[in-house]
Amino acid sequence: MAKKYSVTASRKIGPGQIVLAFCVLLFTVFCFAPVLLVFISSFADETYIVQHGFSFFPGKWSTFGFNSVLRYGNKLLVSYGVTIFVTVVGTFLGLLMMSMYAYSISRHDFKLSKFLSIFLLIPMLFNGGQLSGYLIFTGTYGLKDSLLLLILPLCVTTMNCIILRTYIANSIPYELMEAATIDGAGDYRTFFQITLPLMKPSLAAVGFMMATAYWNDWQNALLYITSDNKKPLQLLLINIQKSIEFLLNNSNVPASARAAMGGTIPQYSATMATVVVVIGPIMIVYPFFQKYFVKGLTVGSVKG
Amino acid sequence: MLKAFLQNTWKHRAHVVLALPVFLVLFFIMYVPMAGLVLAFKSFDYSKGIFGSPWVGLSNFQFLIQSKDTFISMTKNTVLYYLLFTAVGTLLNVTLAIAIDQLVMKKFAKITQTLMIIPVFISYAAVQFIVYAFIASDTGLINNTLGTNIRFYSRANYWPWILLIVKIWKDTGYGSVLYMSVLSGIDTSLYEAADIDGANKWQQIWNITLPSLIPMVTVMLLLSVGNIMRSDTGLFYQVTRNSGILYPTTQVIDSYVLNQIFRNSNFGFTAATSFFQSVVGLLLMIFANFMVRKIEPENALF
Repeated sequence: MAKKYSVTASRKIGPGQIVLAFCVLLFTVFCFAPVLLVFISSFADETYIVQHGFSFFPGKWSTFGFNSVLRYGNKLLVSYGVTIFVTVVGTFLGLLMMSMYAYSISRHDFKLSKFLSIFLLIPMLFNGGQLSGYLIFTGTYGLKDSLLLLILPLCVTTMNCIILRTYIANSIPYELMEAATIDGAGDYRTFFQITLPLMKPSLAAVGFMMATAYWNDWQNALLYITSDNKKPLQLLLINIQKSIEFLLNNSNVPASARAAMGGTIPQYSATMATVVVVIGPIMIVYPFFQKYFVKGLTVGSVKG
Repeated sequence: MLKAFLQNTWKHRAHVVLALPVFLVLFFIMYVPMAGLVLAFKSFDYSKGIFGSPWVGLSNFQFLIQSKDTFISMTKNTVLYYLLFTAVGTLLNVTLAIAIDQLVMKKFAKITQTLMIIPVFISYAAVQFIVYAFIASDTGLINNTLGTNIRFYSRANYWPWILLIVKIWKDTGYGSVLYMSVLSGIDTSLYEAADIDGANKWQQIWNITLPSLIPMVTVMLLLSVGNIMRSDTGLFYQVTRNSGILYPTTQVIDSYVLNQIFRNSNFGFTAATSFFQSVVGLLLMIFANFMVRKIEPENALF
């Protein structure tokens, strides 16, 4: 990629640059401050939050929040397990299947590829909607409370297929794949040994986007998952919110019932600590993938 | 003709095999539910499923006209939020991409960009708690800082602003990445020539940078037009805590449908709404693509 003129020719840092940098900085603070507030609040003292509200400068610190999270114990571990399983399996499966498809339709002399491109495009134009999907998956397919319903709906998206195909078309020389074929490599071998390894930047970028989509998916979980041992992390968050709401709306819940809920009565710092536990892994992994974003996420022509 | 096609397909049978898994997933996950839209013309019977339920003609749509207040209100919200988010979003994404691109301090640009993208990776189930920390009536940061006691969660008129701010916060950083990839591909000799001709920075942005972004803006707008009847469900369902008091300004079609699924009720009305939602999306997409094709065939989607 050509080096930017603005870099090479930029003279000194003038007043314009300082104003610009200041504006960008302001926006960065706007974006990052709320995230910071969550981290700070998760370490804030519970009584301080109750008295003074959430604050960037809590007068008193405490690890009470995280201790409470530990009390979720098994529930949290199970949810972590479910989320990690769904994320890893879904991302790998999706990446493999979609790159196979992208490779297949990027072949110019393959006549069926025109049809396959259109077949891929239509779901972006027309969509059955949530209700129809729900009734078909649970009714017609008889899938209830199944992890398949967390994996399959997010597995293949038109957009990701197009990004992968664009990458094959723009960044992997067609001659290279042809040469491999001439040298006697079959189509499968060409794909797995030549094309797939060269797709790394695109796979990294799309894979990371897919992984976050899986990690953050609450809607399918809320719609389809009922049993406790299949609840992903996002559903755990939603349940916490619901129990907070329940307590707020029913101030006359008898003390015995409150006691029965035991350590699960959510408190501010504990709730924020749970949020940290849920979003933390993505924050940690994200910087390693960021470099692939600009390179690997180019959307080219949607037309075949 | 057909024979040549079959021969070609047989010759490339490996490609057919490679395409098969995605083909099957798309078929069962996307295409079959499309057929499920016929539910709009049926009376749903659990025991018989969508395809076995009896036909009832247009009676579901009559129902839709009868309770048109709900329908109009949520359609209006859906479309207005779409317009607001798309207009403001596109403007901010492009502005931010250009701003970061123009920064001379590349290290600074890199770090700020990293921080700005973070919100897009936070699920709405978690965002909901973050918003709560700011606007809760008793412990919220805003009320405590200003010394006020505004009950945001029961005042519908604040929510278009709250949702807009949340949306900007969450999506702008990431939204600009796509445009940055275009900017990094601009031929630098264009800037050099402009510089020699005495064009200042603003003139360069106006005459070189913006025009080169237009194809990408068109593609992104085109892609989003088909979703005019759809919304970021999490924003409207989670962030508002699905609170009934806020429905007048926050209920969109998608969150309504979700609620009906959970209540297990009103499937006729909901199916008619879904049908309307899908068909309008399709028509608008085709229309928009047609218009773009007239003006600038290069930028059309199909």
